[in-house]
Amino acid sequence: MSDTIVEPFLKGSTGRNTRGILRLSILVLIAAAAIASRLFSVIRFESIIHEFDPWFNFRATKYLVQNGFYDFWDWFDDRTWHPLGRVTGGTLYPGLMVTSGIIYHALRALTIPVDIRNICVLLAPGFSGLTAYATYLFTNEMSTSPSAGLLAAAFMGIAPGYISRSVAGSYDNEAIAIFLLVFTFFLWIKALKVGSVMWGALCALFYGYMVSAWGGYVFITNLIPLHVFVLVCMGRFSPRLYVSYCTWYALGTLASMQIPFVGFLPIRSSEHMSALGVFGLLQLVGFVEFVRSGVPSKQFATLLRGFVLAVFAIAFGGLVLLTVSGVIAPWTGRFYSLWDTGYAKIHIPIIASVSEHQPTAWPAFFFDLNLLIWLFPAGVYLCFLKLADEQVFVVVYAILASYFSGVMVRLMLTLTPIVCVAAALVLSHLLDTYLSIKSPSAPTDADIDAASNAAPAPSKKAAKQDGLRAMREPLVGIYTTFSKTSVVSALTAYLLIFVLHCTWVTSNAYSSPSVVLASRMPDGSQHIIDDYREAYQWLRQNTKEDAKIMSWWDYGYQIGGMADRPTLVDNNTWNNTHIATVGKAMSSSEEVSYPIMRQHEVDYVLVVFGGLLGYSGDDINKFLWMVRIAEGIWPDEVKERDFFTERGEYRVDEGATETMKKSLMYKMSYYNYNALFPPGQCQDRVRGVKMPDQGPVLNTVEEAFTSENWIIRIYKVKDLDNVGRDHAAAASFERGNKKKKTTKRRGPKVLRVE
Amino acid sequence: MRPLAIASAVLSFAATALCVEQGNLTKPLTSRVILPSTFKPPQNFKNANLVHIVSLEKSHPKESINVVIENIATTPQDEYFIPFTARQMETIGGLEVKDRKDPEAGLFEVEAVDFDIESDTQFYRVRLPKPLAPKAQQTLGISYSYLSALHPLPATIAQQDKQYLVYTFSAYAPSAYVTSKQKTEVKFPSTVVPEYTIIPGAKGELESPQKQGSKFTYGSFGEVPAGAVEPVKVRYEFTKPLIHVSRLERDIEVSHWGGNVAFEDRYTMTNRAANLSKQFSRVEFASQQYYNPPSTAVKELKFPLKVGSLDPYFTDVIGNVSTSRFRSNKREANLEIKPRYPVFGGWNYPFRVGYSADLKKYLRKLSSGTGYVLNVPFLEGPKQPEGIEYEFIELRVILPEGAENVKYSTNVPLVTAGISLHQTFMDTQGRTTLTLTAINIVDEYRDRELIVTYDYPFFAILRKPLVIFVTFLGLFAAAWGIGSLDVSIRGKRS
Amino acid sequence: MAPKRSAVSRESTPSQSATQTTTIPASTPIKSKSANQSPQQVALGIWQNYLDKTPQRTKLIDVFMAFLVVVGVLQFVYCVIAGNYPFNAFLSGFSATVGQFVLTASLRIQTNVENKAEFGEVSQERAFADYVFGSLILHFFCVNFIN
Repeated sequence: MSDTIVEPFLKGSTGRNTRGILRLSILVLIAAAAIASRLFSVIRFESIIHEFDPWFNFRATKYLVQNGFYDFWDWFDDRTWHPLGRVTGGTLYPGLMVTSGIIYHALRALTIPVDIRNICVLLAPGFSGLTAYATYLFTNEMSTSPSAGLLAAAFMGIAPGYISRSVAGSYDNEAIAIFLLVFTFFLWIKALKVGSVMWGALCALFYGYMVSAWGGYVFITNLIPLHVFVLVCMGRFSPRLYVSYCTWYALGTLASMQIPFVGFLPIRSSEHMSALGVFGLLQLVGFVEFVRSGVPSKQFATLLRGFVLAVFAIAFGGLVLLTVSGVIAPWTGRFYSLWDTGYAKIHIPIIASVSEHQPTAWPAFFFDLNLLIWLFPAGVYLCFLKLADEQVFVVVYAILASYFSGVMVRLMLTLTPIVCVAAALVLSHLLDTYLSIKSPSAPTDADIDAASNAAPAPSKKAAKQDGLRAMREPLVGIYTTFSKTSVVSALTAYLLIFVLHCTWVTSNAYSSPSVVLASRMPDGSQHIIDDYREAYQWLRQNTKEDAKIMSWWDYGYQIGGMADRPTLVDNNTWNNTHIATVGKAMSSSEEVSYPIMRQHEVDYVLVVFGGLLGYSGDDINKFLWMVRIAEGIWPDEVKERDFFTERGEYRVDEGATETMKKSLMYKMSYYNYNALFPPGQCQDRVRGVKMPDQGPVLNTVEEAFTSENWIIRIYKVKDLDNVGRDHAAAASFERGNKKKKTTKRRGPKVLRVE
Repeated sequence: MRPLAIASAVLSFAATALCVEQGNLTKPLTSRVILPSTFKPPQNFKNANLVHIVSLEKSHPKESINVVIENIATTPQDEYFIPFTARQMETIGGLEVKDRKDPEAGLFEVEAVDFDIESDTQFYRVRLPKPLAPKAQQTLGISYSYLSALHPLPATIAQQDKQYLVYTFSAYAPSAYVTSKQKTEVKFPSTVVPEYTIIPGAKGELESPQKQGSKFTYGSFGEVPAGAVEPVKVRYEFTKPLIHVSRLERDIEVSHWGGNVAFEDRYTMTNRAANLSKQFSRVEFASQQYYNPPSTAVKELKFPLKVGSLDPYFTDVIGNVSTSRFRSNKREANLEIKPRYPVFGGWNYPFRVGYSADLKKYLRKLSSGTGYVLNVPFLEGPKQPEGIEYEFIELRVILPEGAENVKYSTNVPLVTAGISLHQTFMDTQGRTTLTLTAINIVDEYRDRELIVTYDYPFFAILRKPLVIFVTFLGLFAAAWGIGSLDVSIRGKRS
Repeated sequence: MAPKRSAVSRESTPSQSATQTTTIPASTPIKSKSANQSPQQVALGIWQNYLDKTPQRTKLIDVFMAFLVVVGVLQFVYCVIAGNYPFNAFLSGFSATVGQFVLTASLRIQTNVENKAEFGEVSQERAFADYVFGSLILHFFCVNFIN
């Protein structure tokens, strides 16, 4: 550092300190910006857990905090997946909950009374600050220019691709996992550069933490071996590589096996085989290198290499054999869907039904990364220019992550860090080049770094450093002030636009809790639609403690978290059959669903209906997935075709098919809905159709609660009739009109037809 | 308001869980004097004239007895006993006795005395401030309420049906003494009283009751022996909710540094009104909203807070409830909250309301020494026309850390009082906390004051900043010390 | 996978230690085909080379590594013969040996004078401290995993 000093105030140890403090304060500012930009939802709504999965994590965290670690580890949850239950302790990634538990207890020890919910809500923003720091460290390993690290940290702090998963309240595994991902990579690069066991061991420790936090750890498990493999293929084997990789693998694998959910997977499943294979390969190569150093015969070495390749081929053959024979688990469906985007749709509808598993649309890249996505290829190109070990890592990471992010929307998350790093490399390179001479204009200087306006000093210093290099290599220099100012100001403008874009995206797209909906009143004031919580609170207060709730699996975690009632299925979709059972109950006629519901001791059925409000995420729109999943198990009883009209339309109005009109879901959604409108004006505002005047008739369930805007409708499953009549007869008797006799007669007839 | 709501949500999550659990306690009266089982009040008094008023206008019956008592003993007497059944003793609330002729004299000392758990008759003992001379007369005003004493009949009604309540009481006022003359007036909320007990008149007198609009009068009756009971049952229309708070936890936190006093009330509320005979129908409810008919559902609660209250919040277990309105100006500070759903009969709705205020409005420094006087309302619950009953109230006054010599006074009947320490926000020692509990309180006690005096020495005020300062100093010193240690391992040869 | 790993470790053991004279012949036939020297000579040459150039400490490390290989192979053989019933126990035992082996190999590489240039920042003492650190973590995990 000290050899690049030009300016007097940056001289000696004072200069180092000044720069150190500046860098520190910039980093702190970046972290603050990262945290602040994620707080939109807390300010706009309240401190609340968002969406679906976070509610489970929150519930698990509360369990951990209340019952202690060991109970949590052995937690068998009988309030989900009724009547099966779930071995929750062994089927989750505990890293997130344990992290917040530790924070909670630490604060308690300092007698700061913080609610566990607020820790959970603010965990993701807090960790995003750390992610920015980790990105800074990571980028610093890549580039000699200190401004690159700062730029990367700033990008990482505000890139929407990462914000989408880490706003306040989105208490999901990704909240801490991205930090761990980046930090593990940093430690890996560090270990590789230094060749030290300590860094390797630290890398393994953080890898273990990552494994405990997110299923996406497989990405690391495959990326690092791939990096090593590429290096070895490039003939860059070095003792450092051996030391760092072997330490990482030996310790990291053991660490990952400590997590009950992962268990023996690292030696049993195909996803982990590449790491093991590369480990073996390194042993061989290490051996060969050792022998070669002893015996300097060229031919001999070539032969040894052949020997190594042979062993490798044999080992690979053995692996294939073991996989075929079933000792090693073949790739899971989720994994196949990574290679073939159509796979899930055909074979595993339950995976395809999740929106975040869909292939990414092209605009999404621009939406989530904006300017960075243009700079990204340039950054990769820069890495090719100076291809040291760590640059190879960036290249490998970039290629792999770009592919995966194209396959699944959700994996955009893993792409974001490398895009930020690559873009920062480019930008810092550009700025270093264009801000290099003695007459830098002050104003441009002041806003080089749009995200953190305290950046000038380091990058200026960097500029000097580069300037010196430019003297040595005269080709690089830029001489006209005009080109300098124009390029720099253009870049500044781009950066400013990027910041604007990030803020806009965060504020508009990613800051809605989805539990609470916001709408605007005619006078512009905000109106909050809180139907979900209204209904959940009603369930929580006014039903039996162990009343079983049947709903589509999307709402399982929320019911568990907010209503505190047992559910049949939830977002941990571990049992496809059980979900299909619920799908069947929803999509069949009452006569078929009632026995299913009785069998599963269902007390209440919850459906989401957006027709009144125009809320499009309702159950009728998800209905086809229920049908498809049910059809996967009972192809004879549930048929997707029956829900489409002859012209192939999916209709809910007068023209809906008989099967549709008879399905429990349809009936529950539209039951009594027409009573809200004057005759002939009943309208479904989501699908924009006019509904028939005659609403559906329900016999086996009765309406128990409907929320204010009809978003949530809860039905109580009737008991068996006291006098032994079937429900249709009992219901029509209660309605007391003769007309119903015909319906009753029609009922069984239809049954026979089906 | 919102950050504060967050902060407070922090505080009280665990507490809500607690109050949900302890919903319906049957609480024995804890302050009693045990008398021998053979006890019978000495017949020292005679009730010369007695008027018993039963008011059924609210969701809890309020009875008041105005009685002229006469000392028939030979010596001055100061102990007057009032009998109640064991069942009544459990639910009686707010028994107060004062001199009708001299309301300024304040409340008389009243104490529940208990001589035998088995016996059905138990007593309240009133201690007259001045012993009553023989043959002298005094007019007492006795008032009390019963909680959970009204029952809907039929017990389940349809969503739009009118609700009828049944109340059983005695036409003769409870008395341990001979009563020469008495009558009982019953005030109904409306004139619709489909069923009531008729007492045939004796000796040519009119048969009871006589009706005067919504007021029924039983009696007057002639001489009645001690302990006589004449059961009367009435069934009347009452289309309002029966709001029952089985537990209220109220925290008042005083912060000298912040110049702020924070209130938080946690209610475990149930509507005791008639349950729905069918399930809840939103269509029906929505279509009736226009006309806003009287209903047994709790749709809104109004809290008239003290002027100057700030930052109110209204939350429940799963977060902030957005349907609240706060209107605050120089004259009033009204908080109107709507539960998430209309609370029909048999439904529960636990919730939490909190707000803060400038400390100066509540706290005064005594001119001498380090003493302070805090004057806060004991209860600031919602003010509803139908009234509210509180089965159990736990009030905590959290004073600053280091406050000592705590004294309190209030005219709300308390069950227990204690002082403990409460650890929060980086306390080293814990804050002095005064915990008061009361049972069977009705909302007439709303604006009763609680006066707490305490000493807060100067050192205690500086304690926290000093502690924090020293801690940080220590941390920096330690960091500096560790930083300057050279723990790096390097080769001696290199 | 287990067989494969064993193959790896068995093959790689001579790599570092080369004290196992028994394994040397396994690879010598391949070499001898192209080299003009006889296998015997090559092996002896390597062995002599090793004895001459290696410092005493490194030899000590090599002996330890050889010991680890023996233990690992024994465990594996036991697993193959007697079944892998407490799989946790077998796995943690086996990974302890493998892990210790690679850590020791790393130490050996780092302390090797020839690699001085590669490990500029890692002095010998530092390497040993790292080694201890790594081993501690390794054995903590193993003990935790063994149940």
